[in-house]
Amino acid sequence: MNKLMKKTLISAVLIAVTFALYQNFTLMPEYRGLNEGISDYIITYGLNDTGSLNLITAVLYDYRAFDSLGESTVIFGAVSGIVLILSRKMLPVSSKGLSFIVKRTLGIITPFIALFGFYVISHGHLSPGGGFQGGVILAAISIIFSIVYGSAFDYRRYSPQTKTVLETVGALIFLGIGLAGIVMEGAFLSNLGFLTAEKGTLISAGSIPYINIGVGFKVGAGLAIIFYSMIQKTFEEDF
Amino acid sequence: MLNNLIFIILFMLGFYALIMKTNLIKNVIGLNLMEAAVFFWVISFSDIGGEISIHKLGETMGEFNDPVPQALTLTGIVIGASTAALLLTLIIELNKFSGTIDRDKIEGLND
Repeated sequence: MNKLMKKTLISAVLIAVTFALYQNFTLMPEYRGLNEGISDYIITYGLNDTGSLNLITAVLYDYRAFDSLGESTVIFGAVSGIVLILSRKMLPVSSKGLSFIVKRTLGIITPFIALFGFYVISHGHLSPGGGFQGGVILAAISIIFSIVYGSAFDYRRYSPQTKTVLETVGALIFLGIGLAGIVMEGAFLSNLGFLTAEKGTLISAGSIPYINIGVGFKVGAGLAIIFYSMIQKTFEEDF
Repeated sequence: MLNNLIFIILFMLGFYALIMKTNLIKNVIGLNLMEAAVFFWVISFSDIGGEISIHKLGETMGEFNDPVPQALTLTGIVIGASTAALLLTLIIELNKFSGTIDRDKIEGLND
């Protein structure tokens, strides 16, 4: 009886929340388009302000660069918490890995995956992509290594210390460009004017490509550390 | 409005999984489903059928879609991934201590 009452109560709560959401949507005004406000400004002047063809990258690393710094700090906080919680094991016990064919094929494919990751990072201001997306692709390499070759291989090639150094380097690049903004332009993380080049070339758009590279290192190393911390206990139990 | 309807369905599915299920990993899945519903809604209501908001050199572009909600969604996705990883780590630790991930059967956390 008690359980039935509980379920009835929860169902009533669910229905009430659904109804409240529906009511909210009926009361909401229509979307008024881009004719006013910050979106119109960014679409009209974004290319001339920042030199970045990709307006989303312009918003992320120029207009809201300080917010992106806080975002990478959130990743750093998550990585720190996970490593702190799961930090008992010294060395991971290796899995056996997959078969010979899979290992050889991955050996051929891996440079291209890395190339694609660096391409997405470095062309963030010209085409879809950027530091976060490319960093995730780079972290995928580490994850595939752990699955296919076994975790000890990944440990030997790219040890957690190397990943920590890479993440720190990424954060320092971001902060260094921010401080250079104070010295050169008078505001933290403002776009460095002397780096601007012709629009559409690879080295253009002021400090945006460099921030992209820093964020790419940071996200890639951070996600690899998260994955690596999570698999250790599992491998010790299974093999 | 179809996107509002889909948002409500997705969001309530996530909310259902968060409240009714007792498996903690299913709760995390429900939380991520709620996030995904919000991201879907933010992207879909700002889509006015224009072009992707990336300039092409030497071409006059038509009307762009709004770039600001897309940038905000990117921020939200990254933070959602971070919180999901931290929650799953806590569940792994909980499984080590109490041997279960069912939130009604957790015992022995007092000592």
